Amino acid sequence: MNTQQALGSAKPNTVELNIMKEQQQQKRQRGLVLQRFSNIWTYIILIIICLFILFPFLWLISSSLKNEFQYFAIPIQWFPNPIQWSNYVEVFTQYNFAHYIANSVWLAVYAVVASTFSSALVAYGFARFRFRGRTPLFIVLLATMMIPQQMYTIPLYIIFRNLGWIDTFLPIMVPQLFGSAFNIFLFRQFFIGLPREIDEAARIDGCGSFRIFWNMILPQSRPVIIVVAVFAFLASWRDTLGPLIYLSSDTNRTVPLGLLFFTSPFKAVDPQLMAATLVALVVPVVLYALGQRYIDSGVAIAEVK
Amino acid sequence: MIISTSKGDAPLPPSRLRAWLRRNETLKGYLYISPWLIGFLVFGLSPIIQTFYYSLTKFNLFNDPTFIGLKNFQDILTRDPIFVQACFNMVIYVICSTIISIGGGLGLALLLNRKFPGNHFFRTVLYIPSLLVGVAIAKLFRAIFQAGGNGLANEFLSLFHIAPINWLGDYNRTWMGLVALIAVNLWFIGGTMLIFLAGLKGISETYYEAARIDGGNRWNIFWSITVPLLSPVIIFNTIIAIIGHIQVFETPLVFASAQGTVSSNYSNPLGYHNSLAVFLTYIYRRAFISNDYGYASALSVIVFAITLILALIVLMTIRFSHYSEEDLS
Repeated sequence: MNTQQALGSAKPNTVELNIMKEQQQQKRQRGLVLQRFSNIWTYIILIIICLFILFPFLWLISSSLKNEFQYFAIPIQWFPNPIQWSNYVEVFTQYNFAHYIANSVWLAVYAVVASTFSSALVAYGFARFRFRGRTPLFIVLLATMMIPQQMYTIPLYIIFRNLGWIDTFLPIMVPQLFGSAFNIFLFRQFFIGLPREIDEAARIDGCGSFRIFWNMILPQSRPVIIVVAVFAFLASWRDTLGPLIYLSSDTNRTVPLGLLFFTSPFKAVDPQLMAATLVALVVPVVLYALGQRYIDSGVAIAEVK
Repeated sequence: MIISTSKGDAPLPPSRLRAWLRRNETLKGYLYISPWLIGFLVFGLSPIIQTFYYSLTKFNLFNDPTFIGLKNFQDILTRDPIFVQACFNMVIYVICSTIISIGGGLGLALLLNRKFPGNHFFRTVLYIPSLLVGVAIAKLFRAIFQAGGNGLANEFLSLFHIAPINWLGDYNRTWMGLVALIAVNLWFIGGTMLIFLAGLKGISETYYEAARIDGGNRWNIFWSITVPLLSPVIIFNTIIAIIGHIQVFETPLVFASAQGTVSSNYSNPLGYHNSLAVFLTYIYRRAFISNDYGYASALSVIVFAITLILALIVLMTIRFSHYSEEDLS
């Protein structure tokens, strides 16, 4: 299309027009040079900021591959020699991280399935049905997002303790079944934007409301499902307070707890700790890379509306 | 935030279908939202009411809740040096961190708010750390702010010929720990940046063109067009940042443990002489280490009230700073 336009504009080939065009081109070029110049500054500033942000993570990678002597050497050895791959082996075997990761992954996958499904169901109710009290209830839902966690923690702890659920995953898993306010909000905003005509057509064809939800609404909602799933996974992956309060035995520990209690009675374990930290940080980055296309727009949808 | 509850609803089709639908709709609507409604009543509303009730009681591992009126609040506000220390830390921490989040986020958003090759790459690099909060990040920065020359922070300062600082273990300058705690927020401005970018996208290019024709320079354009038109987003981001910073937990918890590890019988999650006390770690210690549930509930209520008041104050500034598009034209 661009080439066509260019051809079209080149047709009236009078001299005056050519002169004008040359002048315009000169102007444009000068503008481009100016813009490029300011672009160079933008690049320089951005590269400095990015390096500043990335350096701790480069340091982390380097530190996780050192032995204690290399780790505490001054000045910093950026390229450890020899490289201590054994740190990672130790983290997984000696420090039981294989087990912690299994626990964390299980909790996170469960959170993704339970929270995404229940949130979508509730959002469908808010988006597609008219009933008395819908608006006030939705405002209550939005308000709950503003209430800090510690307003619930103590009574819930006492309830779960009385139920004998301490040191099981139940206090962390059961509340996920009831959806989370932020995810419901995200889903509802998306569902409202979907055309209702398809629902109506399906309804006339004899579909029940759940089949409309399952066969019509959800297949159209891939972007928001991915965003919610990634956020649910990340929230579960980094949750510290819940596991810290409810889980006490070593077999039930999650990755954040494993990091928090990372210690050895025999030696300085800083490089091993850095290796474990890197393992804990890699998972969210990989997840983000997989769902990035959707997440960037999802964040914007969620926060600005 | 705009609550557009009735916007998306198209009118229902006429005929018998409508009558049938109306009868069913209320029932079905409540059926679909019932998971949240039940969850809210059981895991939301009732714990909140209980927290308010517990805050008025003496309640610990050995006593069942006994009503003592406002004594907990009186104790917290009049004779609790740790609470005073936590308040002092929080004021400094929240103000500085919010300035970093908003100023840094807005600055980066302005830099990235045009098209040039590599824009997306920079956005990604700047945003990714925001996904990584938690213990892992706290442990990483705990190591970066280690004493001596092998910590990355001290290595960075040595570029400017500043002697190594004992960030987290200097008992004469305990506020260094707070500085480190605030500095960690520099790595998390990508989250606010993304929201600002979305807000900047919403400002029509015509305003900028008009201003440029009128001969406004960049500074004028920023203050008289970008800031007013972006004010809803700025206020939203500020509220989110303040609430988020009040909720800071993992980083001070990890920083406070001097050896970098926390064992089950460790003494103080608040740091040396409580120098790194923040609201949440203090509540955590009171509730789950001292098992003083009544007192911790009262603390929670106070922190909740403070959060609410701060959010309201920021919201009130809308009145003075909010311009709609109509006001400008």
